[in-house]
Amino acid sequence: MQLKASQQTAQQIAQQTAANAPKFKGQDLKTQELRERGLLFCVGIAMPVLILILWEITTQQGWIDELFLPSISGIVTEFFAIASKGYAGTPLMSHVLASLRRVFTAFGVGTLVGLLLGLLMGYYKYIRAAFYVVTEILRPIPPLAFITLFILWFGIGEISKVLIILYAGALIVMLNTMEGVRACPKQKILAARTLGAKDLAIFAYVIFPAALPYIFTGMRVALSVDFGILVAAELLAGDLGMGYIIQDASTFFNVEALFVGILMIAFFGVVSDFLLRLISARVVHWQG
Amino acid sequence: MPRPSSTSLSAANLTEPYVQPAADKEIIGLSQVTFGYSRKRLVLQDLTLSIRQGEFLTLLGPSGCGKSTILNLIAGFYKPLAGLVTHGGEPVKGPSERRGVVFQGNALFDWMTVEQNIAFGFRFQSLSKLEKQQKVKTIIQLVGLQGSERKYPYQLSGGMRQRVAVARSMVVQPEILLMDEPFAAVDVQTREGLQEELLKLHEQVSGAILFVTHSIEEAVFLSDRIVILDRNLGGIYDETLVQLPEPRYTPMNRVSDAFNQYRTDLYLKMKAIG
Repeated sequence: MQLKASQQTAQQIAQQTAANAPKFKGQDLKTQELRERGLLFCVGIAMPVLILILWEITTQQGWIDELFLPSISGIVTEFFAIASKGYAGTPLMSHVLASLRRVFTAFGVGTLVGLLLGLLMGYYKYIRAAFYVVTEILRPIPPLAFITLFILWFGIGEISKVLIILYAGALIVMLNTMEGVRACPKQKILAARTLGAKDLAIFAYVIFPAALPYIFTGMRVALSVDFGILVAAELLAGDLGMGYIIQDASTFFNVEALFVGILMIAFFGVVSDFLLRLISARVVHWQG
Repeated sequence: MPRPSSTSLSAANLTEPYVQPAADKEIIGLSQVTFGYSRKRLVLQDLTLSIRQGEFLTLLGPSGCGKSTILNLIAGFYKPLAGLVTHGGEPVKGPSERRGVVFQGNALFDWMTVEQNIAFGFRFQSLSKLEKQQKVKTIIQLVGLQGSERKYPYQLSGGMRQRVAVARSMVVQPEILLMDEPFAAVDVQTREGLQEELLKLHEQVSGAILFVTHSIEEAVFLSDRIVILDRNLGGIYDETLVQLPEPRYTPMNRVSDAFNQYRTDLYLKMKAIG
């Protein structure tokens, strides 16, 4: 009996305390943050949707000449037409694959080259000094300025297209890697050295991972630049690729096909950047 | 002065069977060392200093007196302009795994787990895998990092990070561990805990420690011997042998009369330098 009585009191006390507990007014910081994030996301989505709606309305109503801006539905129809019949006698898939092969071959090899040079230039002062003037001169020159030279040197075929893309990307990766190596805190290198690491081990376990965040930034910038150069390279010569579609459609004032080309490049650019970002977040998880 | 080794960890075999080091056998020697970033602005002049095997030596002194420079010279990061730095009688030629270094911070490898950080030095040693694992495990327990083995440095507090740094340097059993204000960046409570753990580690792992600090209390609590450096290339101003009750890591040592006496003496000496 006594036990029961005391239990009751305990329950009563608990109830009373619950009743007396202060009522929270306003939102805590976490709720605020979540709300804000939700709102920001909505704004981010709303803007492009709005643009698309305005685009479709203005073009459907005929307020803008189809020659300057085709309607979205027109572009979609054109896309399906190209997808089923191909463009200029070549299946769409071949155009897409040709372009992607160029970009990713150049991007892959360019990243490797840039990475190696960047690591060496970042770590060895003398190598940096040796290449410094050359890179500083090359850096501000738009890679496209070299395109005719490349064609002159390497012919008008595949090689010069890939090389010009490769050059542009490699330079960016190299400069970023070099910065990353130089930003590696000196204590980390010295600590490794006092633990018995020699140059090769220091590269593999300290300098390379320390530079990874910079390397990924460089790779992302390089990839978007590579897509830009791709279109320009395909504008020049050849009969295959998304850049070729743009160029060919322009000559025949086929504005719908022109937009199909542009939007496809945008699509692959966005998707590959997204993938690269995903990989980067996985690999350099220790960064913020 | 070497302390008797505790036997509690002999099973873990972190240390070789403890051999009492010959009481005053020199491990590191600086003879008439002169150093400066330029010949016109010297930091050290004709400094002679001897560090004995297994001792805990602390360098105290005003800012800019060259404490850290001495440490960097011994580590092999700098070369003296004149004079000689020796390790076991051989001239120091560059960084070596026989001389460990603990920095003030920011020296952990952010891309490696606690365990990988600590085991880093073993990559360059030919020990059996089992032996390496055992040593890492033992030291993780000694510094109280159990449960954090798989964490990354950014997931740890400042004090924990320094524990990893100390463990990483100590696990490879260097003949001397050089510590440049390793606990300066952590709060007082954490700092005291770290000091006590460092003393425990020092008992387990043979090897000398050269410690640089600004704090008189830290110096008294930790050291067997304290060297005060003078301003303006004055060299060694004073040398104090510290004798406090064993085990040295007992927190009660901090409030003992003997401790206060040492502190007062050192304070007055530091004041005298100005």
